[in-house]
Amino acid sequence: MKIAIIGANGFIGSRLVEQFHLGGQHTVIPVVRKPASLALPARFSLEWRLGDALETESLTAALQGCDAVVHAAIGDPLQIEKMPAILCAAAAAAGIKRVVYLSSASVHGQSIPPGTTEATPLHTEHSIDYNNAKVRAERSFFSECSKYRMDGYALRPGVVYGPRSRWIADLAEELREGRAWLFDEGRGICNSIYVDNLIHAIRLCLEANAGAGQPYLVGDEETVTWADFYHQAAQLTGLPTTSIHRVDRFPAFEKSFRERVEKTVAQPWVQSLLPAVPFKLKRATKTLIASWNPPGSPDAWALPGRPGPHITEEMALLQQNRWRFPHTQAAQNLGYRAPVSFEEAMRRSFAWLRFATDVSVK
Amino acid sequence: MLIGCGAVAQQFYLPTLRTLSSLGEVSVQALVDPSDSARRALAGTFPQAQQIAQLNESNAPDGSLAIIATPPRFHCAQTVDAVKRGWHVLCEKPMASTSVECEQMIASAKSSHRLLAVGLYKRFFPSSRYLKDLFSQGQLGALRSFSISEGGPFRWPAASPSFFNKAQTPGGVLLDIGVHVLDLLIWWLNEPSAYQYFDDAMGGLETNARVELDYPGGARGVLHLSRDWYTPNQYRFVFERGIVGWKVNDANGLTVQLSGASSALRSQLVTPSTPSLSDPAAQLQPTNPQSFIAQLRNVAAAIQGRETLLIPGEEGLRSLRFIETCYAHRTLIEQPWFTPAEAERARHLAATS
Repeated sequence: MKIAIIGANGFIGSRLVEQFHLGGQHTVIPVVRKPASLALPARFSLEWRLGDALETESLTAALQGCDAVVHAAIGDPLQIEKMPAILCAAAAAAGIKRVVYLSSASVHGQSIPPGTTEATPLHTEHSIDYNNAKVRAERSFFSECSKYRMDGYALRPGVVYGPRSRWIADLAEELREGRAWLFDEGRGICNSIYVDNLIHAIRLCLEANAGAGQPYLVGDEETVTWADFYHQAAQLTGLPTTSIHRVDRFPAFEKSFRERVEKTVAQPWVQSLLPAVPFKLKRATKTLIASWNPPGSPDAWALPGRPGPHITEEMALLQQNRWRFPHTQAAQNLGYRAPVSFEEAMRRSFAWLRFATDVSVK
Repeated sequence: MLIGCGAVAQQFYLPTLRTLSSLGEVSVQALVDPSDSARRALAGTFPQAQQIAQLNESNAPDGSLAIIATPPRFHCAQTVDAVKRGWHVLCEKPMASTSVECEQMIASAKSSHRLLAVGLYKRFFPSSRYLKDLFSQGQLGALRSFSISEGGPFRWPAASPSFFNKAQTPGGVLLDIGVHVLDLLIWWLNEPSAYQYFDDAMGGLETNARVELDYPGGARGVLHLSRDWYTPNQYRFVFERGIVGWKVNDANGLTVQLSGASSALRSQLVTPSTPSLSDPAAQLQPTNPQSFIAQLRNVAAAIQGRETLLIPGEEGLRSLRFIETCYAHRTLIEQPWFTPAEAERARHLAATS
């Protein structure tokens, strides 16, 4: 099968290209928005294509001649919501009948109510905009698949980790800096999924004879707590678990200036005005906002102390999660069972980190 | 004249030429690029310059300077053409696609009695010149080891995919970032006595490269280049009597830890104090952009016979020749997250490409 991979330069997309191409069962066509994103796919002798996941015409051209498409592109909340309709229109115009869309377990929130399954009704009242965008995007995806009579599969992975994942690189950095933390001794459940296990689920969707039109929650085989995740990471980086902060309460999470600006920009009326704004002004404004980080007032008499825990709203919600969502639907309809164990997955992930960061003279 | 009006021209040559034009040191006579939109990006700054698609449409007089900032596969033919027309050449790095082309360019320039300079502006950084002195004069003793990491996720605003097309660009990160790093290393330390080269090209162009180097006298070094993941972007040299750190592209800063000292010094390079110079801190040595300007000034002064050309074609050839030998002896780098079957297939792809 000839499979287009949209977002082939990202964390999941790049591993998907590696696995499918090195596996040899499918022909992969990496699709990226701009030439600079070809660095990783271009390690292989592959036919790659340029296509913008936000432009139907460009994406249609990129999907020509493919049998199926996997959508692994990322974006800001507004882009996330727009992408499924463009994906389906482009796939339909290119004659593709099978589409795999990477949704997210975040459609249920980060701290998932006990008893949640794929059948649990979704809402768009989450405090994190990304979650709401993913809910709307998944709804749009199934609605568009139905319109074009396509076989649409949406996967809802939880915490996806592996080579080139921020979960691995950031956690290692926080452990090194003494800023890692666990809430309630790490009893929360992280609903992890190693990237190769997610790719296994994608492969099953591409090859399935039934089960289209439904979302699937997928994860590692084991029930992994945050303590498991952090302790394993500490062990593999050779750092003591005693440096991990214990947290029993959270600060109030206020939207940053940048988040407030992004939310305003995402409003439809602002979007309608943006084409009239000169490109250079937009770029300069983006750069300014990206660098905006109002400094706190330094206290010249303060002594440097132990670094504090780095607590984000997303992480606080994730660590409070007590529900391990089931993979029953994926197992029954697709035959899903995670092939790589958590222990092996962490070993491979941190082996990648050493590969990427170790420059010692041997 | 500026030949090639893409990202390098827009980000580096445009401000350099603007500065030197305002001082009356140069005048831009022609902007050469087949793309109208690429030329237009520079034409606003140099409205008097002729805008042309091809080099042979230029009426620039004998003795002019052609700056070649096109993709590497065009460098040889354009340089040979330019020197035959009586123009001197400053050719962007990498000097050409192959060392054979470099030799052809050098021979053409010589037979036409024209200068051929190569754009390796990091040699003009005060910090890299300071390191050159440390290596050659030995103030900190002999070099024992070094580690260099440079690169990060690829962000260069490449206008076309040719950068990643093996048929059009003969190398990946080693040829792109590595040509600067290896030029500096060879300038500082000469060629190594032995080396091993590893990369992750599996039928295409490498995005991670590692070179392990041995030098006469026993120094060992490792170089890690990446377009894939964030690196510390740091050079670290361990000498007998101290350790010197250099952050990539920090044109006038170094960190020095003398042996036995409990702290390191994070320093900015300044012009040495003289009786007439009471505040050396006010005399910071050139920055990164000023070093780029210094490179063009050196070429202009060499054309006028006032200075020696600091980076002639023969120097540009050295790093490219070493890169070619690396590619000729490449070993697939171990990618420890691959399954055994993937690793086997990767080895096959790397061996047959």
